[in-house]
Amino acid sequence: MELQPSQWGSLERIVTQALAGSSRSLSQMTTGEIQLLAPQLSFVRLENLPALAGGPAAVVVGVYLAITGELQGHVVLLFRPENARGLVDLLLGQPPGTCRELDEIARSALAEVGNVCGSAFMNALADRTGLKVKPSPPVVMEDMAGAILDAVVVQLSITDEEALVISTSFNGALPGHFLLMPDNRSMARLVAALEAMR
Amino acid sequence: MTIVETEVVGLGEVRVASRPEQVLVCYGLGSCVGVALYDPVARIGAMVHVVLPDSSMARGRDAPPGKYADTGVEAALEAIVKAGASRSRLIARAAGGARMLSLAGVNPKLDIGARNAEAVRKALARHGLHLVAEDMGGTYGRTLHLYIATGRLLVTTVGRGEREL
Repeated sequence: MELQPSQWGSLERIVTQALAGSSRSLSQMTTGEIQLLAPQLSFVRLENLPALAGGPAAVVVGVYLAITGELQGHVVLLFRPENARGLVDLLLGQPPGTCRELDEIARSALAEVGNVCGSAFMNALADRTGLKVKPSPPVVMEDMAGAILDAVVVQLSITDEEALVISTSFNGALPGHFLLMPDNRSMARLVAALEAMR
Repeated sequence: MTIVETEVVGLGEVRVASRPEQVLVCYGLGSCVGVALYDPVARIGAMVHVVLPDSSMARGRDAPPGKYADTGVEAALEAIVKAGASRSRLIARAAGGARMLSLAGVNPKLDIGARNAEAVRKALARHGLHLVAEDMGGTYGRTLHLYIATGRLLVTTVGRGEREL
């Protein structure tokens, strides 16, 4: 996806606002402070997404949400397993290393991260562009990156697409990727809305 | 120690292997289906990494034949026969076709995994290929290894162990 510098600027402002909103909400949920830092934005071809997570066979933790409304598509939060567990410890105020497997509590904590970040992103988007979108309830999966992504990618790859990837880290220590995958028409609509933000 | 040569079969690809040290691998199949054809006498194998059920979904774009169940099975069959396998000896096995996003309230019409699985069964039947074993469906990913020397087909999962087909 070729974006004009002004469109990149608009996108960066949305992402910054979304991450600030996420940080605020996550911090309120927990005893400590959680900051989502230093986002890096890029467009990645769908078939190259598993490589972000260490290749299609690498085990990852994914939190999936569908987007509906004026934009349609998918959001996936992708973490290496150890970082997902670290994030659970952070959220539950436990000493690092406490969470060893994704039990029900850990899964619901990660689902909440999906809810919070998904909503923050949709809110920032609505706020800045006027596009109204809402996320579905989140699904938490721990599986091979290829397997988690192919079901999502398949629905889009019919039209040959790219995903917007926002790479960030929780408190500078726990990296994660936000994959935003609007369908073809929604991507065009998003780009037009970014243009209008100038 | 046996030297193993791994050949990765990526999304939409078809690969044939005939040397005993070769192993054909489909990594991280979710809704995708890996189809393995094998001639146990000639010891030749083929694998295709099917992404979508039907080539009519291509909408006129250039897509690799391996991407779709109908054209993928055909392409794998042609390739393995061309490499010297006997059509009548071929055994077919398939794995994948999971429903990864089952909890999301995703439209069941979008259960590409189930549609891929069904399309693969139909395509194999259409070519008179006998599906001797399958491991399809569920809600989890699979990696598939086809060992050319022995014809062993190994399905590995995350947290659900491994099994042979």
